[in-house]
Amino acid sequence: MIAHSVKRRRHADLNSFSARTQAVFHLVLGLFSLLCVIPFIFVVIISFTSEESIRQIGYSFVPQSFSVQAYEYVFDLGDALWRSYFNSFYITILGTVLSVIICVLYAYPLFRKDFKYRNFFNYMSFITMIFGGGLVPTFVICKSVLGLSDNYAALIVPLLFNPFNIIVMRTFFQTSVPMELIEAATIDGSGEYSTLVRIVVPIVKPGIATVALLNALAFWNEWFLSLLYLNKNMDIMPLQYLLMRMQRNADFLAKNSSIIGVDAALAARELPSQSLKMALVVFIVLPIACAYPFFQRYVVAGLTVGSVKG
Amino acid sequence: MKKFLALFLALSMMLGCVALASADELPVITIMFHGSNVTDDSAVLEKVNEYIADKVGAKLEVIWGTWGDFDQKAADALMSADETVDMVFTCSWSANEYNTYAKNGYFVKLDDLIAEHGAELVAAIPASLMQAATIEGAEGMGIYAVNGYKDFATQNCWDVNVTLLNELGYTLDQVKEMSFYDFGELFAKAKEVKGDSFYPFLVEPMVLERMVTNSIIVAGDAGSTNLLSLYMNPADVSADGAYGNVLLNKFATPEYKAFVEKMHEYYEAGYVNPALAVAETSNDTRTNTQLKAEYLIGTQSYALGYEYTASAERGIEVAFIPCTDPYVDTTASQGAMVAINSASNYPVESFKFLALLNSDPYLMTLLNYGVEGIHYTKNADGLIEFTEKRADYTPWTNGMGNVTILPDTAAEGAGFRKSFVEYYGGAKAIPSLGFVFDNTSVANEMAALGNVAAQYALALDAGAVDPATELPAFLAALDAAGMQTYLDAANAQLEAYLAK
Repeated sequence: MIAHSVKRRRHADLNSFSARTQAVFHLVLGLFSLLCVIPFIFVVIISFTSEESIRQIGYSFVPQSFSVQAYEYVFDLGDALWRSYFNSFYITILGTVLSVIICVLYAYPLFRKDFKYRNFFNYMSFITMIFGGGLVPTFVICKSVLGLSDNYAALIVPLLFNPFNIIVMRTFFQTSVPMELIEAATIDGSGEYSTLVRIVVPIVKPGIATVALLNALAFWNEWFLSLLYLNKNMDIMPLQYLLMRMQRNADFLAKNSSIIGVDAALAARELPSQSLKMALVVFIVLPIACAYPFFQRYVVAGLTVGSVKG
Repeated sequence: MKKFLALFLALSMMLGCVALASADELPVITIMFHGSNVTDDSAVLEKVNEYIADKVGAKLEVIWGTWGDFDQKAADALMSADETVDMVFTCSWSANEYNTYAKNGYFVKLDDLIAEHGAELVAAIPASLMQAATIEGAEGMGIYAVNGYKDFATQNCWDVNVTLLNELGYTLDQVKEMSFYDFGELFAKAKEVKGDSFYPFLVEPMVLERMVTNSIIVAGDAGSTNLLSLYMNPADVSADGAYGNVLLNKFATPEYKAFVEKMHEYYEAGYVNPALAVAETSNDTRTNTQLKAEYLIGTQSYALGYEYTASAERGIEVAFIPCTDPYVDTTASQGAMVAINSASNYPVESFKFLALLNSDPYLMTLLNYGVEGIHYTKNADGLIEFTEKRADYTPWTNGMGNVTILPDTAAEGAGFRKSFVEYYGGAKAIPSLGFVFDNTSVANEMAALGNVAAQYALALDAGAVDPATELPAFLAALDAAGMQTYLDAANAQLEAYLAK
């Protein structure tokens, strides 16, 4: 009895730290978390800073004066803003759903050892991670051959298939779905599709959440595809590109003002202010920041859930 | 349920993909412009297409490139031989640089088309601009783009805040007598009156350098930070400068040394805002400070009539004192052109359109200023007044072609375009007009030198660093990066060009 309790205490000791170590850990992790949120807090503060203050003392955590002018301007953008906001959501949601479906359907056979052409398809996806076609050939294929220009598909299709995610998904299958389970399902008379949808997918939900998060981030942050493939139909422009375009305009005019002369000075005046850019960043970050905790629940759950107990 | 959802999503995507085939028989020609701010062109294009249907025999579509995305879009379209883009803006300073792209065969040679369909175009564009567009391209010497008649002469000016100047007890005439090296007295006075946080000297450092040393940009030189200088004669821009027609390392001349030393003195005295010496903040700071009129003397590359615009928007009296007469150099005379993509299926229709655009006031006004009654109205004097709708349709006026056929706006005043033609038409050409440095043989050196210059030049030009220590270090770094090879290649080409 005594021996047992001693053993238990030692066991408890092994899993706990001294108060001092705890304090150090808390401090280090606390500082780290702070470092993660500070840039965002800074952006929020700048977005509420008055232009006058930015001109006088630059970016600062304690501006001379606050203003909501940038947000007023953002709301005045009206249609353009809400449309691009809608586009961003549309592209992200549709793109994520489709890319996750593709990812699961591609990764599942790669995990099944009884699939004959497993190595071939494995290689096919893996090789695209190492060798790319280059920008111009990719552009030609997408635009001329596949007709991806000035439509939503141009902003979704190029990102649908991601070999890295497929490897993540395949590994997840391998570690969490035992072959015995699939064999058992087959013996019970389940077809391949039914096995995948009813047995396997529920087990790998955390993996799917991970891949979905990666995909959602990729779609949400994407602006380069819009730059490449949107020429005439600017109505389907996502929010990221709206912001990126302002940034690129400012950069270009700054770099070339001495050559373009007065026209550049006149154009530069039309550009949005610093605080407006930050206000747009807030608009861009908010939805994805809200989505994170939701996905995180699944990701954390994935660490503790398994299909074969005991 | 899930299946239905997936099916629905897939279907909705396919609907997005399907481009409805147009039943129209006319071919569609597409033009890509630079620097536009256009969100709604439907009303304009409807009118344009009505007008050009018979005259050109095609329908027009426009890709409104913006300042930031044009370079990427144009390069992609040309390099991928995109047949859906028929005409592309090009010039001496964009990524699809006219001389290089013409040499590499991306543009259609226009000489035959001009002979056949271009009588009106030739009449509308001055011969000197046609000459400036005549270069050695993929199919031999010829014209590879329609050169726009825009503000193609360069004139660098001191931008003087006359209101403040008078407040300080000086007159404009006094300043006209002064040079850069005499401004110290004015700045000291301004500082005394306006307080310590006032920076009287508001400059674009790179432009200032050219103004003070009377040097000009050499077409084909490293992009944002020029390395080469051709010194011109400030008294007569069409005569040879002090060094003759020789290209020099602009940082190694005594003129440059004297300039940066004086500039450092001004900077140390607190006459120059430190933000101007940092590439990221330089332009923003300049624009903002200008608008607030918180400066005494600035630099400005002039455009005709800008003093009125500037005075109005800054709420002060602005005067521009020119450093030299307006001059025409290669960079500015190839400042805005439109070329036909060699992959285009409709080069003839495209050319007819360009010829019409540059010679027909109705079409140019329509495409540039919008539709009368929607984007602008005419006031009692027949001058153009823009409406609110203009905000949705603001192309880059000078990037479109022959702007001399545009009507005068109320903001510019009656007779503006007439004086525009007099001012720019009368500008003299520098002796080496037309010379373009082909940097392909020294591309590696140019990249290395560009990096070195980006590190030092701006800070030196703005006076932020001490030239006694930084200038020798800069010159040594340039030498190590192959400045001499670069110079020799450039000078050999210039000699060969002038010999022709």
